[in-house]
Amino acid sequence: MFFRNRKLVYIAAASVLLVVAFVLPSSCSRKGKGVVREVVAPAERGTSGLGQRLSEAAAAIRGIGGAVEKNRELSHELVRVQAELNQLRDVEAENVRLSRALDFYKPRNHAMIPCDVVSRNISGWWNTVRIGKGSADGIGENHAVISPDGLVGKTTEVSAHTSEVLLVCDPACRVSAKIERINAFGLVRGMGANLKGHPKARMDFINKDADIRVGDEVVSSGLSGTRGVFPKGVHIGYIEKVYRDQSGLFQSAEIAPRATIGLLDYVFVVSDPALEVKP
Amino acid sequence: MMKQVLMFAGIATGALVQQFLPAWPMFGGAKSPVMVAFVVYYALHREERAMWVAVVLAVLLQDGLDPGPFGPALLAFPILGKAANRIRFEIFADGMVTQVIFGALAAMAATLVATLVYALNGERPFHFGYALLRIIGSGLLGMATLPLVSRAVNQLEAALPKRKGYGWQ
Repeated sequence: MFFRNRKLVYIAAASVLLVVAFVLPSSCSRKGKGVVREVVAPAERGTSGLGQRLSEAAAAIRGIGGAVEKNRELSHELVRVQAELNQLRDVEAENVRLSRALDFYKPRNHAMIPCDVVSRNISGWWNTVRIGKGSADGIGENHAVISPDGLVGKTTEVSAHTSEVLLVCDPACRVSAKIERINAFGLVRGMGANLKGHPKARMDFINKDADIRVGDEVVSSGLSGTRGVFPKGVHIGYIEKVYRDQSGLFQSAEIAPRATIGLLDYVFVVSDPALEVKP
Repeated sequence: MMKQVLMFAGIATGALVQQFLPAWPMFGGAKSPVMVAFVVYYALHREERAMWVAVVLAVLLQDGLDPGPFGPALLAFPILGKAANRIRFEIFADGMVTQVIFGALAAMAATLVATLVYALNGERPFHFGYALLRIIGSGLLGMATLPLVSRAVNQLEAALPKRKGYGWQ
């Protein structure tokens, strides 16, 4: 009787499908999404490449042809040098403050994987971009992503040849950070974008007595997660506004995450130190 | 057959276009609802079976390319497709006014469903004012998107080679 009523069968089948989809374990859901992304990736790469060529051609027509390639190479070099400099600064600071423990200090040499940004988020609900490299290139989940302008975000969903990058300005992205000038620690979390489209982030849990000034530089502290998701000393942004927490126990500050403004043709994924990176 | 190929290619291209189009900050970060427009177009212009094919493809692309779990499109697109397909003989599907109204309503409904899903599972922060701005904004974008998609698909279908010479076959 039940199976003769086609409407009921359809409704039951749809309900089962919805329930299955909503309670699907995230690993299954990610595998399914990975398949979709792998299928779409070549088209995304083609479209993104076409877009890049068009913008480079436009730049060449405007009279700065040749400078584009040079600029790209210099930007690559700049990121590498900045990362080395950050590491050296950290080593120096550690030497001064922890000279007695020097024997135990092991600096981590992160390899950086250059990646092209192939697409943006489809729905506008998330602040993400997709890059054209994945687990086959040594990228895993929760790897830091940086650009010449500083910290971009972290990888979240990784398939064989694509990775989703959660930007610093997304509310789901949290980074342990410090204010470089006064060495005050806090937690940076994304706030989306304002009505002008500028990405926003907020640094919470800063010591209430810290002397914070507008314009202070905020960098990653290197304390995020057990595996140190974000390397130490990567630039996040500058403080724009300071206010006291409602409880009065902490201070908070609004910051503009510079690396996610007007994003980006290519980024670098900071890989695990042990991993070998393909050239 | 050619129309089906065009449908597949159109929806896949629509997904790429929607990804590359910018989000509108003044509309609460909403993007032009190209996939919703394709679902509504095929629901208004095709029989039920073709509509379901379009819905499944659009759901796979919209939710598959978005971070987080399957959900917002999976819930919204079948309802929108079914509703539009049901009344397609009672309206003038190619009329500009129809498309503007359907584009706005469908985009607003899809955004409302996504807002509810994300608010319930806590994946996105919920602010009433921002959600309202987003729903209204996506309605405005939907008003512009469905007529454009509809016109583009109609012209592409008109440009398809016509079948000639059935003869004795």
